[in-house]
Amino acid sequence: MSDHDAVEAHASEPHGPITRVGEMPEPGNHEHSAHGPGQHSHGGVGKYLLVFVALCFLTTMSFLTFTSYWPWRNEPHVGWAFMMAVSCTKAMLVVLFFMHVFWEANWKYVLTIPAAMMAIFLALMLVPDIGLRNRMVSQERALYMARPSDVRLMEQAGESQLLTNPTTH
Amino acid sequence: MSTMNASAISMPQHQGHDHHGHGPVLQYQPGLPLTRGKLIMWLFLSTEIMFFAALLGAYVVLRFGASVWPKPHHVHLSEPIGAFNTFVLICSSVTIVLALEMARANKTTAAKLWMVATLLLGSLFLGVKGYEYAAKFEHGIYPWSPRSRVFEKPDLYYGSAVRARLGEPAMIDRLKELDDTPESQLTPEVVSARRRLAKVRQMVTNPDQQPFDLAVVADQVMPLPVEHATAVSHDGTETPVGEHGGGHTSGLNDTFPWLKLPAVIPGGTMWASTYFLLTGFHAVHVMVGLIVFTILLFYKLGPKRAGMIENAGLYWHFVDLVWIFLFPLLYLF
Repeated sequence: MSDHDAVEAHASEPHGPITRVGEMPEPGNHEHSAHGPGQHSHGGVGKYLLVFVALCFLTTMSFLTFTSYWPWRNEPHVGWAFMMAVSCTKAMLVVLFFMHVFWEANWKYVLTIPAAMMAIFLALMLVPDIGLRNRMVSQERALYMARPSDVRLMEQAGESQLLTNPTTH
Repeated sequence: MSTMNASAISMPQHQGHDHHGHGPVLQYQPGLPLTRGKLIMWLFLSTEIMFFAALLGAYVVLRFGASVWPKPHHVHLSEPIGAFNTFVLICSSVTIVLALEMARANKTTAAKLWMVATLLLGSLFLGVKGYEYAAKFEHGIYPWSPRSRVFEKPDLYYGSAVRARLGEPAMIDRLKELDDTPESQLTPEVVSARRRLAKVRQMVTNPDQQPFDLAVVADQVMPLPVEHATAVSHDGTETPVGEHGGGHTSGLNDTFPWLKLPAVIPGGTMWASTYFLLTGFHAVHVMVGLIVFTILLFYKLGPKRAGMIENAGLYWHFVDLVWIFLFPLLYLF
């Protein structure tokens, strides 16, 4: 850039490159306007409250598995599947509406689709770890860890009459 | 302000002096239709998602691969408190979104008020979490040894830990003081508990100790009620909820708070590790969010600051999202 400097010595102060903003693609955020991204009008508050009600309802649903109204108490897997479905729905609601992703441009797919692929892959990769966990326990862990027989022992101790029953108050 | 790529227009021509000392004219094309701050925040959130995915994955593997996992009432876990915390965080997500809307509409006072509401709700969450932690610590459930007074099974190590605790000089003095108190000065429950404590001390130091004896000792120290037990609430720390009988029967550790004998909770140590890890890191993230909101309160929350508020809101919604997954996995599974 030295020849520029030589020339600029005669001209006014040296300039860097002049920049000019190109055109923003179609669903652009109009950052320069005073109103901010006006993707949705001010009536969006009603939408947020609706999402809030839905979230409260879903939280109550997931809490339902803890109460006596839950019919599948003897099949915990049903409860787990239900709770995960509820959690994913709540997460989708928060991400889409509170985090504004519903109204964002196509870059959201660039972010979310590989993340979803990774998440599914991660879950699948963890399955063998769960299955093989007890067969590959270290010696120290085996020394200290509890087994179902210990749980039965504690239950028997609780039911035994060796000492008078603990007072309940 | 947008993320931009620069492309110079026909460089060689402008090497001459056509523009009186100006450099080449660069025309910036926007790379993505979002601000730099927002892009960076989303990239940061994706790293945080990976962080929590790792922790949650570890929890899932440990929990579902464990041969024994404690019931919630064994570890003094209260599902209604967890549900209340979930509700608090959802409310705080709503308030921060409303703060953003107010800021965009140039209603700065309203925006500030909603921001304060978010701050208060977040602090409430942390307060409830602190109360939960206090309940765990009170029962000797800590994240690590030697603080943690939890053993997995009533084996020889447990017996020797109980003996060690009973043999401490301060304990010997207190036990003697307890033994010397005449019955008239004590309530019937305490008298009965004292009798059982004496039996426990005898069983623990007995050279003809049977394996079953230590289980009885453990049950006396901190009983693990079965689900259908009709336990009544005790001292206000736990209340009976639903069909699980969330209250617990009183053990020796409850009657004599200074006793602090080691207790047996099968699967308890692994539970404590994962619980405190997950909720601890989440609480740290909540604290960071609250610090950000406190800093934002010093600004005038108008449309110019909407980008900042939006990014802080994105972080806060992420924190809420993590809790939405943590709550069922830790409390309800």
